[in-house]
Amino acid sequence: MKFEVHLDSVTGKTKHVVELEKDGSSYKVSLDGQPVDADVILAAPNAVSVILNGAAFEIYIAPSPDGTYKLQTGTHEFQADVRDPRSWRGANQGGLEAEGRQQIIAPMPGKVIRLLVNVGDAVEAGQGLVVIEAMKMQNEIRSPKRGKVERLQAKEGQPVNAGDILAWVD
Amino acid sequence: MFRKILIANRGEIAVRILRACREMGIPSVCVFSEVDRTSLHVRLADEAYLIGPAASRESYLRIDKLIDVARRSGCDAIHPGYGFLAENPALPRASTDAGITFIGPSAETMESMGSKTAGKQLARRSEVPTVPGTDDPIENADEVQSLARAMGYPVVLKAVAGGGGKGMRVVPRDEAFASSWRDASSEALNAFGDPRVFLEKYLESPRHIEIQILADSHGRVVSLGERECSVQRRHQKVIEEAPSTIMTPDLRRKMGEAAVRLARAGGYVNAGTVEFLVDASLNFYFLEVNTRLQVEHPVTEQVTGLDLVKLQIAIAAGHRLPFAWETITPRGHAMEVRLYAEDPDNNFFPCPGKILARRMATGPGIRLDEGVYRGWTVPIEYDPLLSKLIAWGNSREETISRLRRALDEYTITGIRTNVGLFRRILTEPEFLAGEIHTKWLDQLLVRPRPPVIPPPTGTAAAAAIAAAYWESIQAGRSADGQASATRPSRWKEEGRRFQLDRQP
Repeated sequence: MKFEVHLDSVTGKTKHVVELEKDGSSYKVSLDGQPVDADVILAAPNAVSVILNGAAFEIYIAPSPDGTYKLQTGTHEFQADVRDPRSWRGANQGGLEAEGRQQIIAPMPGKVIRLLVNVGDAVEAGQGLVVIEAMKMQNEIRSPKRGKVERLQAKEGQPVNAGDILAWVD
Repeated sequence: MFRKILIANRGEIAVRILRACREMGIPSVCVFSEVDRTSLHVRLADEAYLIGPAASRESYLRIDKLIDVARRSGCDAIHPGYGFLAENPALPRASTDAGITFIGPSAETMESMGSKTAGKQLARRSEVPTVPGTDDPIENADEVQSLARAMGYPVVLKAVAGGGGKGMRVVPRDEAFASSWRDASSEALNAFGDPRVFLEKYLESPRHIEIQILADSHGRVVSLGERECSVQRRHQKVIEEAPSTIMTPDLRRKMGEAAVRLARAGGYVNAGTVEFLVDASLNFYFLEVNTRLQVEHPVTEQVTGLDLVKLQIAIAAGHRLPFAWETITPRGHAMEVRLYAEDPDNNFFPCPGKILARRMATGPGIRLDEGVYRGWTVPIEYDPLLSKLIAWGNSREETISRLRRALDEYTITGIRTNVGLFRRILTEPEFLAGEIHTKWLDQLLVRPRPPVIPPPTGTAAAAAIAAAYWESIQAGRSADGQASATRPSRWKEEGRRFQLDRQP
């Protein structure tokens, strides 16, 4: 399986092509076209252990609301955008845009303080739909695709949990 | 000893108190709000009762509900922890009325020592130095100027009705007095409609040093030495340590004796803290009394070997403090950092949310007092303190290197924390040299950040491999049987959804 990984950190942006090929219970890994001596396992929930040429890394992974991943290792953090050129499921949910109805999910617990659209409104990809306040911070939840607001589950003043459905865009 | 203790708090301090009770063989009762059903203190509890909705004023601040739970569950003592009702005299009063022992000072003591003005008056009466200045506003500029000369510059003029730095002027030397006086008075008049000002000695870069005291109900009061809490962000303590780097045996004895005098004068019983400001010439000035257990109490516990919560309980039960403790001196060095769910890159905004993964810091010289676990959602309603990470060692240097090592081990994923702030502070040369004061951290945070140390070779490559691997197991398309077995195919999902959409 081949992935294009775009990494972003304070030290700069890099792009890597990673190929993973199942080999018994482990993987054969190649990086940017070159086979590398790497062992990769899931060490604990959301924690991936990589041993690369003998150097050991433990990398914690959390999904971001925008479809990228947040990676932490030691004192360093990366934002990773993973794209699979052959699949319609890429990070950023980019492949899904043309594919159908989207659930808009609350990425954090908080309170709905404003609805920015009405049912039936036409929206662009990236347009704000709902504003959620979590501990005095306001977060705009945006549409992942261009389309029409089909249903609005969120109500102003209503508390929501992470994962609650706020709206559907089709 | 008590039959059963009600813990009128939540989070890490409720867990701390619960552990002390358990070690003493005393059953305890926890309370929780609706959002705290899955909190660690409830999971660890012997007994737990729901006391209301998330909002504190409808749950953790409801004295009537707490007393009711204490009665129903057969508690004969209440521990308030810190925060919430810990310094509200209404709780000890209601407890006493209900025949329940309050683990802490009496309501009268809280009133006479707890407020800043009452505490200051008590300090003057017991010959504990306070920041020199005028108690009452003076309207005659000449009179104020001669006072300022007698006191020695710099001084500060503060509006009587002031707040938020308005109507406040630091006067560096005598020549600047007249213009500062004019500015302060007119600013005070404009901002508050009241031109009157106080005069106070201005302490340049003072340190915050506090004395932990214990007082039993038989008249014995002891000092357990100091904690330095000079690293503060906007007056909130961020790092605490003991001993203080500027402490001398003589100063420790003087400050300890002053704190004990003050506690005696106020008839104080139980654990308390007397806070002081200390200037560059090692003069100390009374600030205020905290009539409760402090967040940073583990620092004192690690250098004295005492368990302050168990001692609080024993004192409340009428036990005597041993005589030998009057000569207690700290051993080694201890330091605590307060890990919060907040984002240092975004103005320290609180960042509640679900903890997806975490790695704990353990090993030699490390203590972790906390109320969190993997899979728990940090609620948005309360203080976002996650963990108190405490390190100790033979020297300050060893303690700092242990703390740095532990901070590298401590990882939480899913929410942002201020752990990066501590990594920075613990490498700052001024901090390492102990050259800190109460405004040091605020000044540090406006300085440019030190250059980023590049990660070890191979980190980006390893991160890319990890991200690709994670993507593959998320998509359930790997031969990693588990993932693909539990995750239905996206094509099937989409097909089902299509079918459902066609239903009338």
